[in-house]
Amino acid sequence: MTHGHGRLGRMVALAGALPLLLTGCLAPLPQPLVGLNQRLEAAGPARAPSLSGDWLALIVSRGGRDRVELVDLQRQQPVPLPGLERPDAQPLSVAVDGRGERLALVRQLEGRTELVLYRRNLMALQPVPLQPPGVPRRVSLRADGRELAVEVSRQGQWQVDLIAVP
Amino acid sequence: MLSGCGSWSWGRRSAGPVGWGGADRQDPALSGNGRVLASVVRRDGRDTVLLQEQPSGTVLPLRHLQRLQPHRSPSLSWNGRYLALLVQQGPERRVLIEDRASGRLHRLPLPGGLVPESLSLAADGRRIAIATEGDGRSRVQLYDLTALLEPDLPAGLPVRGAPAATP
Repeated sequence: MTHGHGRLGRMVALAGALPLLLTGCLAPLPQPLVGLNQRLEAAGPARAPSLSGDWLALIVSRGGRDRVELVDLQRQQPVPLPGLERPDAQPLSVAVDGRGERLALVRQLEGRTELVLYRRNLMALQPVPLQPPGVPRRVSLRADGRELAVEVSRQGQWQVDLIAVP
Repeated sequence: MLSGCGSWSWGRRSAGPVGWGGADRQDPALSGNGRVLASVVRRDGRDTVLLQEQPSGTVLPLRHLQRLQPHRSPSLSWNGRYLALLVQQGPERRVLIEDRASGRLHRLPLPGGLVPESLSLAADGRRIAIATEGDGRSRVQLYDLTALLEPDLPAGLPVRGAPAATP
């Protein structure tokens, strides 16, 4: 009798747990965007993505050089970034706003590490001075492009600066 | 073309103290509306994500992420409802998304052999980009999250696909 109750109890418990188990099994999974991923794969080794709105900024290695690419996800095509690239610059971190208009970039150039802001409509690159001076590393941009957050090394300590973009 | 400094003026401020002495603060990420800042600080010897309202610096609670350090590469949606990040679970580095509104934790499985290095969540929460290492190369892949997450949109923006309001 006790065994029967035990078995019944286990069956009731299992029946109760079944919806949970099924939910676990059937939980929706993120779906890879196959077409876009194939295009990204073909573009070469890539890292440091920044996704905002319909724009993806990332650093792509091609021909032994790292360069910043901005991909229009609607058209599934990279867009030109005239005035951004220099063959002697090494990009470290990039961030894009939700309109694909502003890019914040940390790069090494001529032995220095600098933070710059690129405006696509002006095709212009603007240095962003750090006060007090420091060495920037990773950068993040607000979706409306009006503020950036940057990791800065000063006197052996990593800090975060928030900088309003004019 | 590198423009001169011109007349642009850059307003700046420090993200403020982290509350654990002079700890390093790294990996910053702003929510889409700029009202929440995520960063990674060293706490008790472990890299731990810290979520703070801006500009007050008030620390926001997180529910699920204890004992999954080191944390890295946090990324926030528009209102900061979703926090995506990399955590260490035993020998595995995993992609997690905490839904701060519902308290749910979403685990994003990756194909075997790929180790996530960094990620970026779209502000509306509809997509995520994940940089991985594996098979001898680094790659960035995009995933659609619409089956997993409700959109996190600016206030007043209608949800795509929702019935139009009748006058």
